[in-house]
Amino acid sequence: MAIAKIILSYILGYVRVTVEGYYIERFINICNNNKILMWNVKRDKGVKLYANIGIRDFKKIIQISKKTQCKTKVIRKRGLPFILNRYRKRKIFAVLLLILITLIIISSNYVWNIEIQVEDKSELLGIEEEVKNAGLIIGKKKTEIDAKEVINQIRLNRSDISWIGIEMKGTNVIIKIVKSEEAPTIINENDYTNIVASKNGVITKITAQNGTAKVAVGDIVQEKTVLIEGTMTGKYTDTRYVHSIGEVEAKVWHTKSKKIYYNEEKEQKTGKEEKKYKIKINNFEINFNKTLSKFKIYDTIYEEKKIRIFSNLYLPISIIKTTNQEKEINKKTYTKEEAKQLGIEELRKELEEEIDDPEKIVEEIVNTKEEKDYIEVNLTYEVIENIGTEEKIEF
Amino acid sequence: MSKKRKLTNRIDSLLEIPKEVYTDIPKITIVGFEETVIENYKSILEYEDYYIRINTNIGILNINGFNLKLEKMTNEHIRITGNIESCDLEKNID
Repeated sequence: MAIAKIILSYILGYVRVTVEGYYIERFINICNNNKILMWNVKRDKGVKLYANIGIRDFKKIIQISKKTQCKTKVIRKRGLPFILNRYRKRKIFAVLLLILITLIIISSNYVWNIEIQVEDKSELLGIEEEVKNAGLIIGKKKTEIDAKEVINQIRLNRSDISWIGIEMKGTNVIIKIVKSEEAPTIINENDYTNIVASKNGVITKITAQNGTAKVAVGDIVQEKTVLIEGTMTGKYTDTRYVHSIGEVEAKVWHTKSKKIYYNEEKEQKTGKEEKKYKIKINNFEINFNKTLSKFKIYDTIYEEKKIRIFSNLYLPISIIKTTNQEKEINKKTYTKEEAKQLGIEELRKELEEEIDDPEKIVEEIVNTKEEKDYIEVNLTYEVIENIGTEEKIEF
Repeated sequence: MSKKRKLTNRIDSLLEIPKEVYTDIPKITIVGFEETVIENYKSILEYEDYYIRINTNIGILNINGFNLKLEKMTNEHIRITGNIESCDLEKNID
């Protein structure tokens, strides 16, 4: 109740007034008789009186104060009417404000940003084109977009999508896509299977719990050769098919080679950067800085940011930030030994990423081949791995 | 005149209408030492920071205190806030 009264008085506007004179009691009584509302009346020590009075009653009060021979003075003006009065002369400001508001209202009816979210952050090639063809284009009216039709059209053209959802938030359209996955072939335990090599290698160990081993230790095996066959022959029974179980370990070679030049030119970042900004409105660009860089050799990184008013109200304006990072060319010369060591170290790192279990590395073989300006390093790892994979027997 | 008034008085008392509504008798409400509300007052005779004198139909109300403020004033009632020390009502002698 009290808050409502304060707001109401603020909207209507009021003034804080001091009244000075000898007949202040008379002044108050006359005000009361004329039905003038006063609030927060306070008497100062001398002959002063503070009071809040509504704007409309102020003219009456001046007349009363003349009658009672009091001086009135306005201390404070409060309320909306005073604020509006202040801006009355600024017509252009008001007009521009109106134009801005209408522009925002009009532009919020259009789509200004399309976001495609694929689940698991995997990539779908050409989905943007597909969306464009389906009728979802930046700059289209929101009411003209039929989400169901767009979804149907995209799903008709593509088979690798299992679900699409289109969500419109402000001027932002979010397309959520769930990629369909090819189901892995599940092998039943009752199915008859062989165990097949998945890599080339030399067999070091073979144990067949179910089925018959077809290879022996020391055999060189090519990919996809049958290691354990899913058949059993008993003494009194015929051959019958089984679900083979077994473990096959083999030496597998991982090789990689690399050329290391004795005279190497390496690019290095110096750490110096320069940032340049430009505004892009649709396809029209405004540069704020010079477009040419002051560096000789540099990398450029582009960053585009769309301007939005609220969290979802995108405007067709974007700021493009380009950062140029300066680079230097360092020349390095290696001796033969150094080049060889460097090559081995780099290859080791690459190979160890390829191998799951580095403890199973048995041997490391290094081959080098010297040429005029480079040395070719060849690194081979011998790893003992489990190479058996199940495969269904096709009849 | 007096007879008529007596009749209306009787009807009003039968209907249990509060007295301050149909007569000019003031109603003074004192809420602690911080606030008093006076209904059916006539006029303010004196108003100082420490002393307020209010004229009513049956007598004069004196209020002593400090920092006395007339927080709200309308034709019917007046609200006084501040540090009130004492209140007294003087009867008019006709």
